[in-house]
Parts: sequence; structure tokens; C-alpha cells
Amino acid sequence: MQLKGAIYLGDDREAALALEKALRDEGLPLAIASGDLEGMRKAAEMDIDVVIWDRDNNEPGEPIPVRQIRGVGLNRQPVVALVRQGDVGSALASLAEGASEFLFKSPIQENPAPRLIQAVDSRQRDMRLAWCSKAIEDTSGQLKAIVGTLKDPAYIVSPDYLILYMNRAAQEIFGEGLWGGVCYRVFYDREEPCGVCVSDKGPARWRSVLKNGKSYRFVSTLIRTGGGEAEKLAVGTDITLDEEVRKIHKTFISNVSHDLRTPLAAIDQYLNIMLEGQAGEMNADQKKYLEVIKRSSFRLHNLIENLIDANNILSGRFKLRMQVTGVKEILDIVLPLLRAQAREKGLALQVTVSDDLPPLYCDSMRIAQVIANVVGNSVKFTERGSVHLRAGFMPGDQARIILSVEDPGIGIPKEDLGKIFDLFYRVEQDQVYVEEGAGLGLSISRDIVRAHGGTLWAESVEGRGSAFHFTLPTRDVAAPSG
Amino acid sequence: MDEKLILIADDDRDLVTALSIRLRSAGYEVVGAYDGEETFRVAQERKPDLIILDIRMPAGGGFSSIDKLKHSLGTMKTPVIFLTAFDDDEVRDQALSLGCVGYFRKPFNETEFMEAIRKALGET
Repeated sequence: MQLKGAIYLGDDREAALALEKALRDEGLPLAIASGDLEGMRKAAEMDIDVVIWDRDNNEPGEPIPVRQIRGVGLNRQPVVALVRQGDVGSALASLAEGASEFLFKSPIQENPAPRLIQAVDSRQRDMRLAWCSKAIEDTSGQLKAIVGTLKDPAYIVSPDYLILYMNRAAQEIFGEGLWGGVCYRVFYDREEPCGVCVSDKGPARWRSVLKNGKSYRFVSTLIRTGGGEAEKLAVGTDITLDEEVRKIHKTFISNVSHDLRTPLAAIDQYLNIMLEGQAGEMNADQKKYLEVIKRSSFRLHNLIENLIDANNILSGRFKLRMQVTGVKEILDIVLPLLRAQAREKGLALQVTVSDDLPPLYCDSMRIAQVIANVVGNSVKFTERGSVHLRAGFMPGDQARIILSVEDPGIGIPKEDLGKIFDLFYRVEQDQVYVEEGAGLGLSISRDIVRAHGGTLWAESVEGRGSAFHFTLPTRDVAAPSG
Repeated sequence: MDEKLILIADDDRDLVTALSIRLRSAGYEVVGAYDGEETFRVAQERKPDLIILDIRMPAGGGFSSIDKLKHSLGTMKTPVIFLTAFDDDEVRDQALSLGCVGYFRKPFNETEFMEAIRKALGET
């Protein structure tokens, strides 16, 4: 660092000249002014980097007038005290009074310039620190003002669970005058810290019913207002209404699904009674029409299942009933209906299953649903030819099986290929919507496969056909041990 | 050998009729009940070998019915299969915890349902 110049404030002419000479030898000019207010003002008008204050200016017992020096505008310049050789007491007192450094005089100590450079350095650091700490103080004040006006309850606790701050909303719920109390006792009537704070020292989330009877979702974050371990700021959001809506929604869906399924059971039973001739023999046409009713009933059933599944997926309530089962057993559930569906459109459904496939650990009804959705989709978009369903090992991976459904149908436009698994997506053809389906099947299928640890994807060339593939882990990798 | 008697308790009369036809043709004797009170009364009077029980019914649903049946001398050992249109896991878990031998959701897979009936009656 190259200094531009320094100024000596004081009346010890001999010392000033000695210092001036010493600094000149080191390439640093020194100005000289009197050790009073006038001298300070003169210094303020000059372009200097250091103020050297002769401590002999002080009356006995008086400190260095640092405030005055700053007052005339000498802010960035460090004050370096000049004290008599060997007067360590004055040297230390000067530092305590705000001097950044000291030099000895009578005689002037050798090589003083580096100590002045050090003083400038130290002053700059002090100023930066002061600025930062003021900024922190300001921000902290602003933060508290913001938190204070929140309608949501917010509080700050120390690492040892003491309440340091509560905003108005928190005081309305928990009461006033609780600062300094132990958070888990005051807020949650517990004798020990809550699990979430013990297990997770970092930011956390939890739900809680508070003393006002309402449900809150809390999010906490770490803040550091001083040194040492961070404090925790927790802000709660009132989710009472959300929870009520969720409950009503769940009951509603449960009732709707119950009431939609109930008549389907009776329809199925009567269809079976008639188709098996228990209500008398029927002619071929009557039988054919009943088969159509049966398929329609199955489709209606599937649609209800898909709607409920979509709802469960959206609301995060989607559970699998896992069991060990074989691919052939799963196909037995769906193939009769899928073959009928294909036959109805004049299509063939070819099925190829490798003989050596191991058992799967899966929810067989769900996987059957995926197969029904994917094959049903292929049948829907194919006008002639045959749909081919294959099941075998994933090439090069004995831990996975792959099921593929290929069709020579209309295919999927390239720009739509990424969207077909979106909820409620339907292919639009020549501005005419395909009439069946609500755009749920593929989206749900992908979620079911994912929940099993597999992947579902599609390949297609528009006008040439499509292929859907999905993988499932085999029993050995997927089943829990024991 | 006497025919086994199955009590079908469901407020959907159409379903009770259809199931009765199916079960009679499979060789069982069948009696129906359409609410909770009737279910309990018929069960006490007729001592069925198996009860197929709906969950949502008037005058006492399936859960309170099974509780009463399991606490009455004449029916405490009678196997119960739930047949309901509810699909909630909570309902299913509760049903299984109440000591039923089967739980089917409407509309049901008839092959599996008949298999469960035979098993409950000790025929397999």
C-alpha cells in the first residue's frame, strides 16, 4: 500500500521535524499542524491518509479527542498516537481511546512508515466491520418489523429452546409475557423438546394443533443474530380450513365412489345370471347384446377406478397392495376383456410371454389396470391389423421384466409424445376429440408403474403406429427381505 | 348332506336377489336381510353357516353388526365376509381387524368370491 501523506497534530516542533525526516526517508510526506481544533480543520482540508496525534497535547487525565477529529471530517484516517519513549501506559491508553496504532518519540522510533500503513489497514477493516454490523442491525430490525406484522404466528427460539421473540399473532395464541420461557413447555405443553427439533437441528417442517384449537403447518429456518449457534425462526400457517376441505373432499370422494360401485355389483351379477342361462336360454343376438352390456359395465367400472385413482394420486393418497404373483396370473385377469375389446373392433390381440419369467412382487390389480389402460389405448387408436403384447426380460437385465404393447395405429405426433402422460391429456384429431376416455389412463398407469419402481414410456411414428413399454423389478429385487 | 345356509345382509335388494340366485345354483341355501337389525335377528333365528355382510346399511351398519354377532352365543363363531363398495384403506383395515374371514369390494371378482365362500365353509 502506498500512502499519500500524513499529518502531525501537536506543538512539539522538535518531534515533528524528526518524524518528518524519518518519513521523508521512507518516501512519505508529512504535514504539520497545531494540536487543536484549528489544526484538525487544516488536516481535514488536506489529502492525507493518517493523523498522528501527539499525546502531549492532552491535559493530564484527558483522552485523545477522537470524536472531535472525526467531527471535522477525518473519518477514514486512522489516528496514530505519538507517545514518549518507554511510556507504555500512555501507548496502551491511546489504543483504548480509539487510536489505531502508536509511535514512540524522543527519539522518534526507527522505520515508522510500516506502522502507519498497518494503522490505515486496521482503520479500513474497522470501518468495514462497523458498516456491516450496522447493516445487520438494520436488517434484523426490518426483519422483526416484517415478522411482527405477519398474521401468522412466528417466534424465535435459542438453540437451548428459550423463547427469544414472539410476534403479535403468536402472543394472541399463546399469551403475552412468555419470552424467556422454554418453547416446548409454553407452546406444546411438553416436558421434553419436540422430536422435530431434536432430530433435525436445521430447518424443519411440522404440523400442530395449537391452543386456539386450529391446525398450523410450521416451517422453521435458522437465523444467526449474534455469534455462536443459530437461533430458529418458526412461522406457522393456519391450515384449519385446508384440513376441513381435505376431509370433506375425502368423504365426498369416498361416498361418490361407494355409490357408483354399488349398482355395478348388481349389474354384474344379473349379467352373469343371464349369460350363464340361469334365467332361461337366450338366442345368439340376445347373448351378443348382453356381452356388449358387460363390456360397457367393465369400462364404466374402469372409468370410476381411474377417476378415484387420479384423485388419490393428486391428493397423495395412493397405496399399493403388494403380493407375490406371476405375469400370467395378472394377464388372466385382463386378457378376456381385452380380447373381446379388440375383437369388437375387428382387431387381433397377440400375446407373447416368455416361459422363464420369475414371479413379481406387485399389486396385481394395479398392474392389470396398467395393462388394460395401455392395451385399451392401442385398440382405441388402431383401425386394422393386430395389437401385440409381449412380456420378457429386459435385455441385459435379469432383475427387470419389460412389457411392451405395439400397435400399427395412427401413432402420436412428435410434439405430443411428451404430453400423453399428462393428466387429462387427449389426442385431438382433425379437431374432433376421440370420444372415449377422460385422459386419465396413461397418466395413472405411469404413476402406478413408478410406484412399483419401474418406468413407462412410449415410442411412436405418426401414421405408422406406437409402442408402449414398461418395466417392473422382479421379486428378488423388489420384495422386502424376511 | 344338508345344504349350508348363507345369510346375505345388504340394503341393495337387487344385489341380494342376484347373489341369492347365484349361490342357490351353486348349491347353497340362502336367506337375505336388508338392515342391521334384521341381520342380527335373522342370524339369531336361522344360525347361518356364513354371513356376507355389507358395511353401509340402515339400522346398524356392518361394523356394529359384526360386533354384535361376535358377542352373541349363537353367532360368535359364524364366519363373516365383508362385501362393500368402500375402497378406503382405513375401512378395509378396520374390517380386517374386526375378525372377518374375507373382504371384497364391489363390483367383485366372482371366481375369487366363490373361492372365499367355499374356504369359509371349510369346503376346500
